Amino acid sequence: MSEAIVVENLTKVYGRPGTGLLAVDQIGFEVHEGEVFGFLGPNGAGKTTTQRMLTTLLEPTSGRIVIFGHDLARDAYPVKRQMGLVPEESNVYTELTAWDNLMFTAQLYRVPRHERAQRAQQLLESFGLWEKRNVRVENFSKGMRRRLSIAMAIIHRPRLLFLDEPTPGLDTQSAHAIRDLIRQLNAEGTTIFLTTHQIEEANQLCDRVAIINHGHIAAIDTPERLKAAFRRVQSVEVALEPDGQTHGGALSALAGVTHVVKMGDKWRLYTQDPSMLLPQVTDYARASGLRLISLSTLGPSLEDVFLELTGQQVGTIRHDMAEEGPRRRGMKGQMGGGR
Amino acid sequence: MILKDLRTQYLRPGMIMFAFLMPFFMFFSFAVRRDMAAAQGVARLLALTTFFTASAAGPFIIPLERRVGTYDRLLAAPMSLLTLLAGKAAVGALFAMGVSVFSLLVGVVAFGATIARPWLLVAGITLGSFSFSALGLIFGSIPTRNPGDVQMPSTLLRWALMFVSGVFIPLAEMAPAARAVAYISPLTYAQDLMNHAVLGMGTLSSWLDLALLLACGLLFMVPPVLMHRRARRLGY
Repeated sequence: MSEAIVVENLTKVYGRPGTGLLAVDQIGFEVHEGEVFGFLGPNGAGKTTTQRMLTTLLEPTSGRIVIFGHDLARDAYPVKRQMGLVPEESNVYTELTAWDNLMFTAQLYRVPRHERAQRAQQLLESFGLWEKRNVRVENFSKGMRRRLSIAMAIIHRPRLLFLDEPTPGLDTQSAHAIRDLIRQLNAEGTTIFLTTHQIEEANQLCDRVAIINHGHIAAIDTPERLKAAFRRVQSVEVALEPDGQTHGGALSALAGVTHVVKMGDKWRLYTQDPSMLLPQVTDYARASGLRLISLSTLGPSLEDVFLELTGQQVGTIRHDMAEEGPRRRGMKGQMGGGR
Repeated sequence: MILKDLRTQYLRPGMIMFAFLMPFFMFFSFAVRRDMAAAQGVARLLALTTFFTASAAGPFIIPLERRVGTYDRLLAAPMSLLTLLAGKAAVGALFAMGVSVFSLLVGVVAFGATIARPWLLVAGITLGSFSFSALGLIFGSIPTRNPGDVQMPSTLLRWALMFVSGVFIPLAEMAPAARAVAYISPLTYAQDLMNHAVLGMGTLSSWLDLALLLACGLLFMVPPVLMHRRARRLGY
């Protein structure tokens, strides 16, 4: 498999070396051609700094970046022609129409004159913006601007596309559409470098992820392998009726429970052995005269892995339950226990 | 890029104020109640227009583009830094040339001024606009996203260059020390060139004026390149 990106000992110090702020410290990784590579990390971890170095916007303090065989420090021009960039903020020209934005970008990337209009029409149609092509972008919604920003980044058909936080702040429909778009681009052969702090998004989209924290790479692997490496972060989730804060003490006293987190109307009990814990939970419900509304076991999510690797305790950050459905593997649904 | 910049940036209120109205305000504030021939007034107005209009673009537009992120789009595009900066200088120069043509029309139509050497006028406006646009780029290259941070120092310098130049007191009437200071300002050469073009006479050689304006323009392109490289290296 050929490499789209090779990064070796990459370091970035903001300001003067010695007195400046170390943002990225000796990181190294490879991105294979044709994959969706996720670059995850908490705020301030060095994600955007790394991406800005990869896209030539920042000069590394030391280290080497090779993209499609070209050393970025010496030979950036051919790389720039083959990459597209979608920054966190949709950097579209709001005073221009969608059509003019695409035409300008096509000129900037030297798309042959006779192909510009055809490509622009194709992109606007597939991104659902054709009807609005003559509307000034200042009248566009955030989601429409985002889609236009992606269209502008791919009008020259780049081999490598950098996406920085593509979906935060978008409504569910727009975010879903953009994720589909990323999958489609990747299926057509574009290598995607996705910078995000939305872990579930990375879980859904990425072939491999790198987790960066405090300027260091904490782990690189496929999402499933990363989860498998953290089997100790398993849990049992239970909803009891009537619910109440008093259950916390009793549940955390059950054998094998490392800690308990209240999550809405449910309790999550972290353990290394869910199978041993399940009968204890049903026994507790029965003994206390409680109705067991639901009982599930959960494997480690990518978020759990992320929190473990970034040094934050599992359960200290709110878990987005709506996004976690696919990883459930236990007894979900109504259960008539406790009687 | 030229058309895009003209459409997206040059009709903003700040640009109209600093680039279009300012030279007229400056001219009228010094011209009223002074005994000045129409042609002399037109020469001064043209020099002021090229100077203020062309040098206003960089400090206003580049920080704005940085703020909305469109400047990163240009920096990441497949072109050299020098190409990008030359393009920015060219847009500012074209805008200044357009405003200068408007000033010329005002002078010719409203005040009945005549032009002694039209080709020199074209060369002077073109070179002056490019040179002063490059001067503006120096301030536009200060790594900030707020045009206000750049406007203050750029306005201060431009006013200083205007006051020491031969725009309001002709070079020939200046004391030797004042004249020595006037030679520091590129506006002095633009004004002398406009005098040659409109009045048919100047203090220095018109060829020297042209050569020095060209040299200033090229020289003014160096700091923006270095400042952009420094910002990229240090991460500002």
